[in-house]
Amino acid sequence: MPQSETSEQMSLPPAFLDIRQATKSFGAGKVLDGVDLAVAKGEFVSLLGPSGCGKTTLLRIVAGLLNADQGHVMLDGADISTKPPHHRDVGVVFQSYALFPHLTVAENVAFGLHAKGADKSSIQPTVARFLDLVHMSAFADRSVKALSGGQQQRVAVARALAVGPKLLLLDEPFSALDRKLRETMQIELKRLLRELGTTAVFVTHDQDEALIMSDRIAVMNRGLIEQLDTPDTIYRRPATAFALEFVGLSTRLKGKVAAVKGAGELLIDTAFGSIRANGNYLPGSEVLIGIRPERMAFGARDGANTVAAAIQDIVFQGSRIQTHFVSGIDEPFLLETGGELPPGLAPGQQVPVSWSIGDTLVYPAGPSA
Amino acid sequence: MSGARLDRMIWLALPAVAYLAVVYALPLLWLLGRSVTGPDGFTIAQFTAFFADPFSWRVMGNTLRIAFWVTLLSLVIGYPVAIAMARARGLMQVMLLVAMILPLSIGVVVKAFAWQIVLRRDGVISQGLVASGIWAEPQRLLFTEAGLIVGATNVFLPFMILPIYSVVKLIDPRLTEAGATLGASPFYRFRKILLPLTLPGIVSGSAFVFSMAVSMFVIPSLLIGDRFQTLATLTGRSYLLMRNEALGSTTAVILLVIAVSIVVLSTWLSKRVGRSL
Repeated sequence: MPQSETSEQMSLPPAFLDIRQATKSFGAGKVLDGVDLAVAKGEFVSLLGPSGCGKTTLLRIVAGLLNADQGHVMLDGADISTKPPHHRDVGVVFQSYALFPHLTVAENVAFGLHAKGADKSSIQPTVARFLDLVHMSAFADRSVKALSGGQQQRVAVARALAVGPKLLLLDEPFSALDRKLRETMQIELKRLLRELGTTAVFVTHDQDEALIMSDRIAVMNRGLIEQLDTPDTIYRRPATAFALEFVGLSTRLKGKVAAVKGAGELLIDTAFGSIRANGNYLPGSEVLIGIRPERMAFGARDGANTVAAAIQDIVFQGSRIQTHFVSGIDEPFLLETGGELPPGLAPGQQVPVSWSIGDTLVYPAGPSA
Repeated sequence: MSGARLDRMIWLALPAVAYLAVVYALPLLWLLGRSVTGPDGFTIAQFTAFFADPFSWRVMGNTLRIAFWVTLLSLVIGYPVAIAMARARGLMQVMLLVAMILPLSIGVVVKAFAWQIVLRRDGVISQGLVASGIWAEPQRLLFTEAGLIVGATNVFLPFMILPIYSVVKLIDPRLTEAGATLGASPFYRFRKILLPLTLPGIVSGSAFVFSMAVSMFVIPSLLIGDRFQTLATLTGRSYLLMRNEALGSTTAVILLVIAVSIVVLSTWLSKRVGRSL
């Protein structure tokens, strides 16, 4: 498996949150296998991966709610690995929000300030300010049990931020909300955290959420970070076959390197004929080819990969149209267009489809993904 | 649900109502009647006589004092157990539950006799305290108030643990974690999160244990003896030994009033607490 592209660590400012070799096992199962992660001050980093990949475990270790078997957590230059959670200055927004049911909205937000022994006269204005930031001022004296999911989520964010944590951790805070509300809240939260300059680590299994909100995304799989990069790079240049499959849609073809020409120009044999790509592989290597559906187009092009494929289905999705082609394998061969389709296309038709050589992603074939 | 349907449902409760009326309500009414009936018809002389006697006040004092300490001791011991049981998982939880419920299947008489052995001058407790140097010489705990309190607590402990356990079970464990990440120390978390949220369980557990401890008869009879009287043992003696129905019915009614007040008070209290939660 190729290593993640974390070479930029050298050039970045010193990490604000620095996780080193975090390892954790539950029984015989290794949940975290020596994870390194550096987050700069003010950055918003998502841990993206399927359930069981270790992302929530990593979050709980940073919060101090779980002890790592090995490894260190550094925050703002100090090793906090052995500190109890209430001495860490790390706020958490839980998936279930975990609001205190016996307290009002304002009392929930004030809880941490009281607990930390904040100056009594400063508590009320601070609570008012944070309730205002999340647009919940009108609900200050309500019981939290009377709130909707979205409102509870706002209170949970206000409560976590009111104590001024150095780092905010968010554990799938949107998963209980319906789609429309979720999109509004994502943008709202992102804006709020940027305004406050809060450093945040966000756990999600929802790739759209990660792409929308993050400065950088850490794609996690089986207790390791497979790729840490900007959403744009993660999407366009997934470092591993897993990242390709987990983030966004893609067409994946199995192939075998038939010939290598010059500087890493490959000729790969596939079920759709010979495909050209760039990469460092030896002739005879089994590979997996990936293509993003929106990088494909109808019609043949010179200097590009062109194959003939039979249309299986045309799926209208509002702003985009997806064309599924017969691929001969379980996975669909996808083409996505934003505007209109060429006229006269119908299922069953055999048409030429092309994409550029640069858009052809190559990974070693293996059990991964 | 329609009114007619509800009316039909009420008939389902009829057997239970009839049964309770015959074996419970009628004797109780007879008891109440007996306590206000003298040779010349209605009288409250039995009550005035009872309250005029300093011995009666000592008996009531004994009853409430023992019940108070048993309740407090049960709470102090039972609360952490209830939390541990609710938070334990898998086999551990099953084992804790079994360890608590299994002793319930042993009769009170058997347990009381067992405690007699434990509390004797040459019993385990005495020997242990002497061996550890806390006591200079063996002492008898049997037939002392301390012995009674310890023994009764053992019998009633499950009735404190279960209501608290069922309340803790419903509390999201993330709440205390949230408290921790907000900078609250373990004690602050306990005081401001766990304690207020478990208060309804504490109230109903205490009401259970207190009302049982107020009216226990067998345990004091075996663990402290005749020199120490409570309302329940006095009621029993009045009927069984002294054949004094007037005194027996009077003490029984007073005991009943105390027990009912506890139930009413605790219901009111847990509703109040419940509302503010």
